[in-house]
Amino acid sequence: MPKLIKERVPTPERPVEERVKDFGEVNLGYTFELAVKEAERCLQCPENYAPCIKGCPVHINIPAFIAKIKEGDIKGALRIIWNDNTLPAITGRVCPQEDQCEGACVVGKVGDAVNIGKLERFVADYARKHGIEEELLCEFEETCTGERGKVAVVGAGPAGLTCAGELAKMGYKVTIFEALHKPGGVLIYGIPEFRLPKEILDHELAKLKRLGVEVKTDHVVGKTVTLEELLEEYDAVFIGTGAGTPKLLNIPGILLDRIYSANEFLTRINLMKAYEFPEYDTPISIGKKTVVIGAGNTAMDAARSALRLGSEVTIAYRRGREDMTARAEEIQHAEEEGVKFEFFLNPVEFIGDENGRVKAVKFEKMRPLEERDARGKRKIVGTGEYVTLEADTVIIAIGLEPNKIITEEARGLKTNPNGTLVVDENLMTSIPGVFAGGDAIRGEATVILAMGDGKRAAKAIDEYIRSKKASA
Amino acid sequence: MGYRITAKEDLSPIDYFVEVEAPHVAKTWKPGQFVVFILHERGERIPMSVYKAENGRIGMFIRKLGKTSMQLYYEYNPGDELWSFVGPLGKPIKVKNYGRVAFVSDAVCGQAENYATLKAMREAGNHTISVQTFEDRERVYPEKFLAREVADEYYLTTLDGSVGLKGHYLDVVKELIEKDKVDVIFAGGKLGSLAKLAELTRPYGIPTYATVRQIMVDGTGMCGSCRVLYDGEVKFACRDGPVFDAHKIDWEDAIRRNAERFAEQERLAKERYLEYLRAKGVI
Ligand SMILES: Cc1cc2nc3c(=O)[nH]c(=O)nc-3n(C[C@H](O)[C@H](O)[C@H](O)COP(=O)(O)OP(=O)(O)OC[C@H]3O[C@@H](n4cnc5c(N)ncnc54)[C@H](O)[C@@H]3O)c2cc1C
Ligand SMILES: Cc1cc2nc3c(=O)[nH]c(=O)nc-3n(C[C@H](O)[C@H](O)[C@H](O)COP(=O)(O)OP(=O)(O)OC[C@H]3O[C@@H](n4cnc5c(N)ncnc54)[C@H](O)[C@@H]3O)c2cc1C
Ligand code: SF4
Ligand code: FES
Repeated sequence: MPKLIKERVPTPERPVEERVKDFGEVNLGYTFELAVKEAERCLQCPENYAPCIKGCPVHINIPAFIAKIKEGDIKGALRIIWNDNTLPAITGRVCPQEDQCEGACVVGKVGDAVNIGKLERFVADYARKHGIEEELLCEFEETCTGERGKVAVVGAGPAGLTCAGELAKMGYKVTIFEALHKPGGVLIYGIPEFRLPKEILDHELAKLKRLGVEVKTDHVVGKTVTLEELLEEYDAVFIGTGAGTPKLLNIPGILLDRIYSANEFLTRINLMKAYEFPEYDTPISIGKKTVVIGAGNTAMDAARSALRLGSEVTIAYRRGREDMTARAEEIQHAEEEGVKFEFFLNPVEFIGDENGRVKAVKFEKMRPLEERDARGKRKIVGTGEYVTLEADTVIIAIGLEPNKIITEEARGLKTNPNGTLVVDENLMTSIPGVFAGGDAIRGEATVILAMGDGKRAAKAIDEYIRSKKASA
Repeated sequence: MGYRITAKEDLSPIDYFVEVEAPHVAKTWKPGQFVVFILHERGERIPMSVYKAENGRIGMFIRKLGKTSMQLYYEYNPGDELWSFVGPLGKPIKVKNYGRVAFVSDAVCGQAENYATLKAMREAGNHTISVQTFEDRERVYPEKFLAREVADEYYLTTLDGSVGLKGHYLDVVKELIEKDKVDVIFAGGKLGSLAKLAELTRPYGIPTYATVRQIMVDGTGMCGSCRVLYDGEVKFACRDGPVFDAHKIDWEDAIRRNAERFAEQERLAKERYLEYLRAKGVI
């Protein structure tokens, strides 16, 4: 039994004063030495028991890859992770580990949980930088024949990218159709550079290209091509169109200037690089006092981006501190960087100036009840008391729902009342040969679940095409 | 990748025609829909109406207004490529036999839509009425770019009366609906005129559809930049429009949002670009 070390090996981070001035990555990740040291804290629970494996949505064999780190065998560690997760550099950075693998970790019962996320990230980063990933990738090249059949993937977010990569490795010719001018989905337009440097995504895309995956950007399925047309040309289709439509508040003043959805604000900044205006052409307009409404990852990303553009930022949330849904690390970073938090405030009106620009937000004060809702959060009620916060910029981050472009056109696709696609246990939609996964079937969920769906769908698509070809 | 420019021509001192090879868009484009392009890697996503979609090419009318529209005019020529070109976006209008259909327009996007819409409406068996308003003789487009060819009845007006009828399309519409039956009116161009048109036709109960231009980013319903109030409800112009029942749009907000949201930044970008052109001796 190894000795239990209660405290985590900290990961180096850039100092607050420095990082709030740019969009560079905040957490610098473990070095080789630090990673081995942290890996040594793992108690090596047996595979059939290890709670972290159960806590991981895709059940990576965590103790096994950590054991490889301890041995200094990073290639071995990556091989184990890749069995279940093809995007570790990304998930290691963005998974809500405290609710998943790390939340279940035994060491966490008496001290800090093993820093599984940062170790996962370390393996991926180290392998990428030292050509190890390249070696592993070569092993797949033989199987990437593109001769087993043709599959179309709609949407280049984590679900679509994963599904495409897995199918390519099985020998399928895969074409991804992406509406925007760049692939990546939320990873490119939503999550900022300071959490997920774009070079990591670029690298994943280069990998897919090597596996023979073709990406057609500027193609909106349902507009540029129809689902029916895809089905005529391809043996199967995977839909990974995400949950891209922002919910807006249905309250007076919603059309005032400088009120953004988080999606607009973040897309201008991340995808279009408005923070480098006028070097880049897309503008952003921001004042001195920003109020962000909501408390998920999207809200934190918007808040910290606004801060980096020189505004004071307050996050206003209708529930309490413990109900916030963002990753713990993001909340902590936001606080360190000077984002203020106001709880139990529910917006009821945006107030504008004579030029039609927002100048304040009126909130009703809320009060928590003992009773909990379906998600286990305390229910809240209005108190009838109101406060007004000054704000010359407002960012609404209260959630997203699936984009209807594809379902409006392909009428045969059955949807649930919330707009998500209906799928069976094999992730097949109501149209035979059309599969779906990620936020398109779950609503706003996570990168790892989208990735997991993409992988699972690839297997189901393979079986579907095989049996179709066998019976033909 | 890249989308090749196949033609570029002056329409007037302020507007120009440009045609781009984009077979993926041209194949499925229908009247009412628009496209979005990006000039280069640092460019902005720019929505544009369509004048013609033929032979795998998209023709557009563009006004030299700010940085992007001027850069395309001054630095891009046939043979050069646009970095990104996507579409068709938005909802098509219903093309069917309404009877007597009018299209009225007073600015660049509207002139493109005027031709495109009436061409389809005529093919659907309608009696087509086109009204095109320009500022003055100098700014009237060459004959081959006017909508006359697809109109059964054609009116050209200039604000100063230097050619055609003197006045605005609003004056013509007033006469038309008092004199004759008009079953449906489509309109594009300046938002202020569209708001006035809505008020003009409302008492007559004539269905009036207008292209509601708003500042867009993605053009696919993903950001809400283009939101408008329609019948008291938030709608996205790119996804639910851009053509809406003009009687149900909250025009005041739409007009302000289109002009004001980034006015400061747009001015700065334009100044900077003009300086660059002057330094290069282009202007
Ligand atoms: C700001 C923000 C921060 C987040 N932070 C985290 C985090 O820290 N951790 C975490 O786990 N999750 C986070 N999430 C959630 C996570 O990003 C999503 O759950 C995940 O990206 C879903 O992946 P997806 O592949 O299903 O869809 P998406 O990533 O949404 O990708 C869908 C893609 O499909 C394209 N598309 C849509 N319609 C069409 C069409 N008709 N034709 C062609 N293409 C189309 C879109 O343009 C897009 O590129 C965050 C989300 C946001 C918005
Ligand atoms: C559905 C639709 C169809 C359009 N059709 C045409 C057309 O056929 N011909 C034409 O010349 N113009 C058209 N426009 C307007 C065109 O997109 C803008 O003129 C163009 O973006 C100006 O860019 P700029 O850099 O040259 O000018 P800027 O100086 O950046 O902007 C000048 C003005 O253009 C508008 N504008 C700026 N950025 C955007 C944007 N991202 N989205 C929408 N509007 C913006 C604003 O009103 C702004 O005040 C259309 C817009 C929409 C929404
Ligand atoms: S994928 Fe996410 S949950 Fe699973 S081990 Fe990695 S960081 Fe933890
Ligand atoms: S332009 Fe983004 S939703 Fe319309």
